Amino acid sequence: MTDSTESPDLTRRGGLTRLKEGTYGGLFAACAAITLLTTAAIFVTLLSDAVVFFRSISIVEFLAGTNWSPNPAGGGQAFGIIPLLIGTITVTITAAFISIPVGTLTAIYLSEYATPNARSILKPLLEILAGIPTVVYGYFALVYVTPALKATLFPEMSTFNALAASIMVGIMTIPMVSSISEDAMSAVPDQLRQAGYGLGATKFEVSTGIVVPASISGIASSYILAVSRAIGETMIVVVAMGAQARMPEVRQALFGIPFVNPADVLFESGMTITVAMVQITGGDLTGGTLPYNSMFALGLALFAVTLVMNVISDIIAQRYREEY
Amino acid sequence: MATDNAAADGFGEVSRVRGIVFEYLSFGASVFGLVALGVLLVYVAVDAFDLANASPEWLLTYFLTLVVPFLGFCLYSADDPDVTRRAVVALGGGLVAVAALFTAVEALVAPIPRLNWQLAYLFVVAAPVTAYLAYVGSRGRVGGVGFGLLGRLIGGVAIGLAVGTLFLVLDPLVWFLAYTLGILPAVGLYALGRGRSSSRAQTAAAPIGLLGLVAAVFLRDVVPVFPSDLIIYLWTIAVPVAAAGAVLVAGRSGRTAAAVVGGVPLAVATAGGFLAAGAGLPAPTVLLVLVLTGVPTGVYVSRVVDVGEGLVGLGLPLLLAAGVVAGALIVEAWGVPAPDPWLDPSYLTEAPSRTPTEAGLYPAIVGSVIIIAMVAVLSFALGVGTSVFLEEYTPESGPLGTLTRILQVNVANLAAVPSVVYGLLGLGLFANLLGLGIGTAVTAALTLSLLILPITIISAQEAIRSVPDDLRRGSDAMGATRWQTTKNVVLPEAMPGILTGTILALGRAIGETAPLIMIGAATTVFRAPDSLFSRFSAMPMQIYTWAGFPQADFRYGVVAAGVITLLIILVGMNGTAILLRNRAERGS
Repeated sequence: MTDSTESPDLTRRGGLTRLKEGTYGGLFAACAAITLLTTAAIFVTLLSDAVVFFRSISIVEFLAGTNWSPNPAGGGQAFGIIPLLIGTITVTITAAFISIPVGTLTAIYLSEYATPNARSILKPLLEILAGIPTVVYGYFALVYVTPALKATLFPEMSTFNALAASIMVGIMTIPMVSSISEDAMSAVPDQLRQAGYGLGATKFEVSTGIVVPASISGIASSYILAVSRAIGETMIVVVAMGAQARMPEVRQALFGIPFVNPADVLFESGMTITVAMVQITGGDLTGGTLPYNSMFALGLALFAVTLVMNVISDIIAQRYREEY
Repeated sequence: MATDNAAADGFGEVSRVRGIVFEYLSFGASVFGLVALGVLLVYVAVDAFDLANASPEWLLTYFLTLVVPFLGFCLYSADDPDVTRRAVVALGGGLVAVAALFTAVEALVAPIPRLNWQLAYLFVVAAPVTAYLAYVGSRGRVGGVGFGLLGRLIGGVAIGLAVGTLFLVLDPLVWFLAYTLGILPAVGLYALGRGRSSSRAQTAAAPIGLLGLVAAVFLRDVVPVFPSDLIIYLWTIAVPVAAAGAVLVAGRSGRTAAAVVGGVPLAVATAGGFLAAGAGLPAPTVLLVLVLTGVPTGVYVSRVVDVGEGLVGLGLPLLLAAGVVAGALIVEAWGVPAPDPWLDPSYLTEAPSRTPTEAGLYPAIVGSVIIIAMVAVLSFALGVGTSVFLEEYTPESGPLGTLTRILQVNVANLAAVPSVVYGLLGLGLFANLLGLGIGTAVTAALTLSLLILPITIISAQEAIRSVPDDLRRGSDAMGATRWQTTKNVVLPEAMPGILTGTILALGRAIGETAPLIMIGAATTVFRAPDSLFSRFSAMPMQIYTWAGFPQADFRYGVVAAGVITLLIILVGMNGTAILLRNRAERGS
């Protein structure tokens, strides 16, 4: 390379080369350090403001309170996370009712039934579902899905409701379930399938009786990831679900067992943890107020929950993975 | 009893029904989400372009002048009687089937709102057939040339507009000095170093460039006289692009062709720039669009003429343009009632408004472009740096291996953190603690860069990992240092994959709304931002704001147009990424 040396420079003296090597190595290490710093910064940012928040509002009050009104018109702020949890859980469970069965069946179809050609078309197309901006999904839910549901199935539905938002969250998370599950199913060795066929099993029996059990750890971890994504989903619910932190009405059923009518939750507007955070940003953002700090407390809760779920999903995928 | 007999016979009757039902059920599940999304996209397109009010005559006119010639071109390129027969059967049979089915559903079940059978035919049959034929046609020689030319034209316009937008926030004078004193000498020195294979000159390029940049910032206030903006852009962008094109062509087909490829677009762009300045259009943007479209097109045409195959394909842009003009003339001459689309040129160039018909997306588009440009630079640099460190510089085992694993797990976890939490990070750290300002473009760009960084890193790592180890060992055996191996062997091989991953990640960033809300981005701004620290809005922010307006014209018109704009930009970005990847796969 260099014009100065006739014979190869085997000892590689020369401060310039060493300096260059060191500089680039250091630069790359600095880039890598930024990812660690990001995690640390998230922790510190969330914790520092959340700690200030918990000085005014006790943790018990926060976790067990049934009223959420950070910026009331009259006064009497209340920071109880329970109504937000109900909203989040409603959306998550309803979305899981779509994403889990549809995603699992999709994964089975892709790994067991589809021709290579069909798979090469379907897989990238499914990824589109996860690539559409979530605000667009929210708009779809508000403007097309809710009126359609109102006109056909549930006339008593309100304009902002949990059901339409949950359906969209479910559709958005289908590819999470399907792609990870499909990877797990494709990793099942062909000998197992051939052994099944050798015993006289049909394709259906091989798919459901051999492939699915053999890849169950991957499938389970994909479910957890999809649920964790649904918990953190913001824009769909902000646009389509409205922003009313409500406790559902508990009805007295026969035999005196209290129950909650799902329609009370699904057809009405509600508030998730993420919606509550977005709603507070409408007010003061320079910091120092109680609602501002409560945002960070909510963020901490959200961060902790999704982190724990991801770690669990990782552990399941690692520990219970069948080694072939 | 039955089972006993079966066991005795050895083989029983196996129920096939269950298996068949299950297969179709799982197939249905795998297209369920796509069909749902498809229906919603059809509706949003109908709303954005006001197709519900389009008369059948209007649709027929454009179908005949625009779509049919295009299909003819694709079939000509494919040159396969089998494909032609199938296309005709699909288009003809689809017409009958969709019309019959649609009428039957409307008559028996319920009327379908805002759709008629003509639109249903266009979306359900014509659009997929067109897409399929375009795919088949582009694989033929003629079609390949045609789509290549069309892609360069559209890409040139898009990049020209985007770069022109960036100069809204860049001080042209600083840029002029930085280019003249920093970039030009550095690039020149580097080229000289390569030409003479002197590593000293190459090494010196970077420091000299940096020195020039610093000098530019200081000299900005000292130098009393500057050339006019138009000349600055001519000197800093048009001339280098034209020169690069000319050099590219000169190597292959001689000086005359090089002069034509470099000179003609430059002259046209200069003239266009002066005319635009006279007409009140933004002259730099016009100049940029002309030169960035003209030079690559010129290079491409010269290459195609050299090869001498598929020359007919060069007519594709003309064919489409003629189709649009003919359609417009027929509509005008026969007085065919035309729809009034929400998504029209004024929508893209006007500021938002309280009146739906006057509302536009311009400031939000500018905001999005500026943010994405910053995010692209930041996340690309950080992503490549981190992935090179993880893949090339750290061992897999030992104490440093533990560090690698920690970094790896950390990146995987960061990828799963909800975007609204990143928004809180941006608000707490960048906006309030570091004082970059609430809702400024810088805060947004930093936040979004961190948000997509894990995705960029993971895809860049995959690209680097797919570089065969033999190449590295070969480079090592030549006595190259680690950095030399990385720079000369690993990164060039992995670059298409890295770029693909980065563009896909940028597509994620352009649609993110929640972090922007958290850092306090403006819901509506009426002027395009003029500095990196001014408050700005972005496309998804504006869509979010408008979606909350109760008027039907906003909900079903203005927002739909915004959604379509955003999706078109997304499709363009992802399409570019996929093209890059396919080209790299074909090359290797």
